[in-house]
Amino acid sequence: MLFVVGIKRILKDIRVAWAIGEKDIRIYYAKPASLMFGILFPFSMFLSFVIGRNIPIDQAIPVLVAQSIFFASSSIGPVTIPLEKRIRTFDRFLSAPVSLSTVLLGKTIAGFIYGIGVSIIPIIVGVIFFQSIVTDFIALAVGLGLSALGFAAMGIMFASIPGQGPGQVMMPLNFVRIPLLFISGVFIPVQDLPVWGQILSMFSPLTHSIELVRGGLGGQNFFGPLFNVAVLTFYLGLFLFVGIRFHIINQKKE
Amino acid sequence: MKSIKAVNLTKAYGKLLAVDHISFEVEKGEIFGFLGPNGAGKTTTTRMLTGISKPTEGTAEIMGYDIQEQSVEAKELMGIVPDISNVYTDLSAWGNLIFTARLYDVPKVEREKRAKELLQLFGLFDRRKESVQGFSRGMKRRLCIAMALMNKSSILFLDEPTSGLDVQSVLTIRNLVRKLNEDGLTIFLTTHNMEEANQMCDRVAIINNGKIAAIDTPEKLKKTIKKLQFIEVSFVGAANNVTAELEKLQGVTEVAKHGDKYRLNTENPPKVLSAIWEYASANNLEMHTVNTLGPSLEDVFVKLTGIMPEMKRKGSKRGKKIGL
Repeated sequence: MLFVVGIKRILKDIRVAWAIGEKDIRIYYAKPASLMFGILFPFSMFLSFVIGRNIPIDQAIPVLVAQSIFFASSSIGPVTIPLEKRIRTFDRFLSAPVSLSTVLLGKTIAGFIYGIGVSIIPIIVGVIFFQSIVTDFIALAVGLGLSALGFAAMGIMFASIPGQGPGQVMMPLNFVRIPLLFISGVFIPVQDLPVWGQILSMFSPLTHSIELVRGGLGGQNFFGPLFNVAVLTFYLGLFLFVGIRFHIINQKKE
Repeated sequence: MKSIKAVNLTKAYGKLLAVDHISFEVEKGEIFGFLGPNGAGKTTTTRMLTGISKPTEGTAEIMGYDIQEQSVEAKELMGIVPDISNVYTDLSAWGNLIFTARLYDVPKVEREKRAKELLQLFGLFDRRKESVQGFSRGMKRRLCIAMALMNKSSILFLDEPTSGLDVQSVLTIRNLVRKLNEDGLTIFLTTHNMEEANQMCDRVAIINNGKIAAIDTPEKLKKTIKKLQFIEVSFVGAANNVTAELEKLQGVTEVAKHGDKYRLNTENPPKVLSAIWEYASANNLEMHTVNTLGPSLEDVFVKLTGIMPEMKRKGSKRGKKIGL
């Protein structure tokens, strides 16, 4: 009996989380802040990286895919949560019969779908126009899925920073996101980094996103896919846990 | 069972005690007014009662469910209209209602039926597909109330529902609230508007500095300051010194100018009426209107909170200082 009640409760939470995610998709995906920080920003950085350098397309596409998923997924939470807090629609969630975790799950879903949607475009472009080949579909799919979830959760965690708008959350978020680009094998492949750089890159979740995507598209994988999956899963759990805790602490201060 | 029961409800922000051990009960089917000046603790109390904010101390129950311990059950029974219309302006009226219902996990058929009913009741059905961005403030307010009713709530929390609206919207919303109450809904109405509380509430609580100063029916509260009786008189073409002259009349304790009228405070209206009549005759003044007024809910509020409304302050510059 208790089991049935528990299942019903979980299904209800999933339905509500999906409703929140779907609403965010309709309202916030085309907002200037989402477009700028989630799409324009990674594409501009990618262009500044490839223009004028003779980088083979098989190296460039995984970088663009991983960079897109990193920025796009992690931008939705920091756009939606501060905006909703400012216009007080976030109070609707707090006064509804759902837990804060369900609300944040809904926000994570919105970030996840945004990241997948944005990052899949370069893969399609690569396959159709540049003869890119998906050599390991599972590695690519798992890499995209885990990365999108993990980075969406990272965005939710940063969105717990009190502020009156997305700008106040994006600033500290970019303070972390941009340095990560330099230690994650984006500009220089991990195998070409010095040993201390390789050790450092091991701790970056972005390294493991790029590794899985690169592996999926026929490139080299330095750490190995299982290790990549393990690290990304760890970060997903960590970001979700810390994000939910921070939001609960903030709610107590309300 | 009480609709709302607050026991020793307290909220502290650091050393500041925003709400200080307040206790009250709201009966089922009642319109309960919650009055107080800005910063008195009204919104903080409402946020604690609705589970948005966690009390530092004390408990609150909604239809017997503890808002902290049984928050899901309690929240399923309430609808909330905050002081600002927190609707999604990028969605249509229909989209807002359907999303709210989905937050409460209302099944598809039921939520669509309910949304249609509410849009018709609130006069928004013809514009249901339009983006809320283009709605007037009154329409957004109506939509906000409709959203609070999507889950068939038993208690409706209304925070300043008519603030900043035009007269027509105010009347529409008041009528809707009355109708909802007649249909059995308990209303917790937070307002600055004394007249609104006077007209609509079965009982009111006045909160000041985080503490409940009084709870009773509006009429009983007015009786507590029976000594506050007024005569309001206006003259055709009155001279500038009329206020000072009226203050000298026997039985008059104070005079305040309210627009083109003079409000005389007295404990003996018949005696002062005669004196005004004599004064007008002696000074060749023609009286335009004369009214006797009992204490208003605003007077009770002023007495209990010590807050002086702007109008009275201006009036008292010419008359005596109002000392309640």
